[in-house]
Amino acid sequence: MRFTVETWAPEYSGAVGAPDAVPEAGTTVVDPNVELPVAEWRPIAPLATSPVPAPRVLFIDGVRRVEATVWISDDGGAVHRGLCASYAAGVVVCDGIAQIVECRLERGLFCSLANGEPIRTRRLDFGLHVVAGGGDALMLAIQKRMARLEVEVAAAHRGEASTIVVDGPLRDGHDDPDLVGYIKTHAVAYGPAIVSDVVAALEVGQRTPLMLLGVPNDRFSWYLRLPGPKAHGWSGIVRLEVLASRSVQEVVAKADALARELPRFASAAHKDPRAPQNLYPIAGLERELRRRLGDAAFVLRELREAATLT
Amino acid sequence: MISPLVVAVTRTWYFPVMVRDEDGGADADGVPAVPVGRVIGTEDATPLEFWVAVSDGQFLQLDDVVALERTPPGRGPVRIYGVVSQVRARHEGARFDSDVFLIADGVLPAEISEAAFVQATRFEPEVFVPPLPGQLVRKATGAERDQALFFDEMRKSYKALPAGLTRDDEPLYLNLEFLDGTRGAHVNISGISGVATKTTYAMFLLYSLFNSGVLGADALNTKALVFNVKGEDLLFLDHANNQLTDEQRERYERLDLVPGAFRSVEVFAPPRRGDRNGAPDVAARATGVMSFFWTLEQFCKERLLPFLFADAEDERQQYTMVVHNVTARLMEAQPLGEGGVVIEGAPVRTFQELVDVVTAKLSDEDPQEAARWAGRAIGAGTINAFIRRLQGAVDHVEHLIRADLPNPLDHQVRFDAQVSVVDLHNLNDRAKRFVVGVVLRKAFERKERSGQAKPLQFVVLDELNKYAPREGTSPIKEILLDVAERGRSLGIILIGAQQTASEVERRIVANSAVRVVGRLDAAEASRGEYGFLPQVQRQRATIIKPGTMIVSQPELPIPLVVQFPFPAWATRASEAGVAPSPPARADRRDTTEVGRTASDGMGDPFAGFPSP
Repeated sequence: MRFTVETWAPEYSGAVGAPDAVPEAGTTVVDPNVELPVAEWRPIAPLATSPVPAPRVLFIDGVRRVEATVWISDDGGAVHRGLCASYAAGVVVCDGIAQIVECRLERGLFCSLANGEPIRTRRLDFGLHVVAGGGDALMLAIQKRMARLEVEVAAAHRGEASTIVVDGPLRDGHDDPDLVGYIKTHAVAYGPAIVSDVVAALEVGQRTPLMLLGVPNDRFSWYLRLPGPKAHGWSGIVRLEVLASRSVQEVVAKADALARELPRFASAAHKDPRAPQNLYPIAGLERELRRRLGDAAFVLRELREAATLT
Repeated sequence: MISPLVVAVTRTWYFPVMVRDEDGGADADGVPAVPVGRVIGTEDATPLEFWVAVSDGQFLQLDDVVALERTPPGRGPVRIYGVVSQVRARHEGARFDSDVFLIADGVLPAEISEAAFVQATRFEPEVFVPPLPGQLVRKATGAERDQALFFDEMRKSYKALPAGLTRDDEPLYLNLEFLDGTRGAHVNISGISGVATKTTYAMFLLYSLFNSGVLGADALNTKALVFNVKGEDLLFLDHANNQLTDEQRERYERLDLVPGAFRSVEVFAPPRRGDRNGAPDVAARATGVMSFFWTLEQFCKERLLPFLFADAEDERQQYTMVVHNVTARLMEAQPLGEGGVVIEGAPVRTFQELVDVVTAKLSDEDPQEAARWAGRAIGAGTINAFIRRLQGAVDHVEHLIRADLPNPLDHQVRFDAQVSVVDLHNLNDRAKRFVVGVVLRKAFERKERSGQAKPLQFVVLDELNKYAPREGTSPIKEILLDVAERGRSLGIILIGAQQTASEVERRIVANSAVRVVGRLDAAEASRGEYGFLPQVQRQRATIIKPGTMIVSQPELPIPLVVQFPFPAWATRASEAGVAPSPPARADRRDTTEVGRTASDGMGDPFAGFPSP
């Protein structure tokens, strides 16, 4: 297989501007009345009597980086666009000390050429992932592959703590009832208008009542305000979700426990550009994962070297 | 088709590390040494210095000796040895100082990384390549440590002089060849007085020289001349120290030394002023001290006058002409017996009388007569300057230059014992210079006459800045310079010390092969005179504790930090344990030796030597 590396650095080749996350297609609120009737919705402060926060919390996150755009020539002489990417997922355990206990790293070549081959440089292997369609589909495939790695890591650590926080929404394969999806950005407002009003009224450490979300799977979800300046109604708000496989009472207890537990992990504005939602353990894990992706210039050099050799 | 490469990593880097020599190495006994870490690649590794990341569950501390191997392409393996001169620990993954609180609270994940800065000491064979990042580094122990510090070669040629211990009580050595004149000579010690323990270390080196066996058969006849400049610290060298603990004893044994007092010591002190018997002027020690002085006859015949004038050689001083003329006239004095002289008809028995005669001659109304003493065309001002200085000296030296006591020849500094201690601590600076200058000249001439370097003559002198200051010249400085520059071939070895090397004549410091530094003042430590200390050691020199020294010797590219054991000899009356052995010359008539304790020690001259 012959391939060349786009001489323009990947950030100029349009590969990086692609969507950041898989859109949550078709998510709808099934029922906002599971904990409180909609008419009675109000901010809920976790009771001091609610269960003590778990002494042990796991955080799972992933990172990805496009290393290069490559042009692959097939036997017929046609040229196909492909992306070489590195992505990784890892786990932080917080139980007195915060420790990164696992990092999984993969590198892949994403292209639409069905009979392509993996790219092997002197030190790195880019496994082949065939993607139907081009353009944004390649980026999406990388994102999915990273999400898959996160799911695998989560599965590997199943049962190690009563709370395992996953960065982003719960996805296919996240079938552990202990997993908590942690959503930092809010492109969509869920539920009736009262939800937004209650969110705006939340004080630090308070949460909204639960609501039931459907599709792709049933989840209980609620909003929580983290510490930090309240610049506007939605600042410092995160949405949490767990699988709807346990009773409402159990989930309410968990929601209360998380409302007491998570604020201490919230980051300060001068330390994180996504404060307070980007939690310290997750930020630390992301930094470590990015470090393990290796030096981008070095990886690009490896790829260019491999291209000239082929 | 899809075959993802999943790499689970915890601590190690995921790139295949480019390490060619994974061999952890082994010490001389073939026991594989446990690696303590790896050379890091985020700081430059050079043949002179490199950083080592310390593995989990291991540690490296300052002064640890490490080793690693590299095999350059097409060559055999090269062993690289070094000494840890700095260690650092930091949080990796933290970006702000305040992250430490988050990390301590268990909120932010971070790794503690420890790294040690290593300065290379030796390449075997000498292929000066840098170690490669990722290479395993091990602690060098036993034979490998000896090799790292060149002790193996010193031992092979029986030139390893015990110089102290590491903090782990491992022995450290000096190469005798750089001390005995073979390849170098002289020791120079700098440090703040009081905390730097300069003199104690000088005495430890002497003890080691005499008792370690490195001098071989010469040890018996090797002599040391020690000037005691402060307190009465050195007057008890021949007494064992009763404060020496078993622990300290063991430290001597680690160095293959038998702890004890100096075996053959004679102590000389100036006579007490106004004492009719010329008893020595010491407070702490009642017996076994000889008083010393020079007779007027010696003063005249041996041309000692210039030593009273510290700046006599300074050409800008007019009166130096007068000094030389008067010295020449005094040469013509006739002996009167018992040390007295007759100067042109005038009998002289005291220094005051001598000064009066000289003054009268210089002020003679007959200009011819005055010119005969002062020299031609010397102005009255110059003559008066000379007289003023000479008169000024009377009070300070009249008890040292005299002819009013019987048996004056018994009151001379001799070099019969192995160690001759000359006490100066009660003397004024001018008198100190006079004594040091005259005694040194005597020692120097003695060696010159003997015509052979061995057995060696060591001279221990503190406060070098007083005797050989950087500026100006004087007869004493000239002698010290002679010792520094020609002593190596003559076999006269200076162990000099001073608070600040920057105030001492450069050529004296520069001629010292072995440089030692104790506690230094921070401003002093940054001076060029201490260029032989790497930056880290300069900083350490400002916090170093008593009993610790930094020793630089030519063979090792970096200085070693040594600790030396508590003195096995008494340094004050309260420590004086076992009574001294009888003097080397038991038959001497000595009025001061009343009540000396008889002892059993005249037996085996080799008693106390380490068994071969």
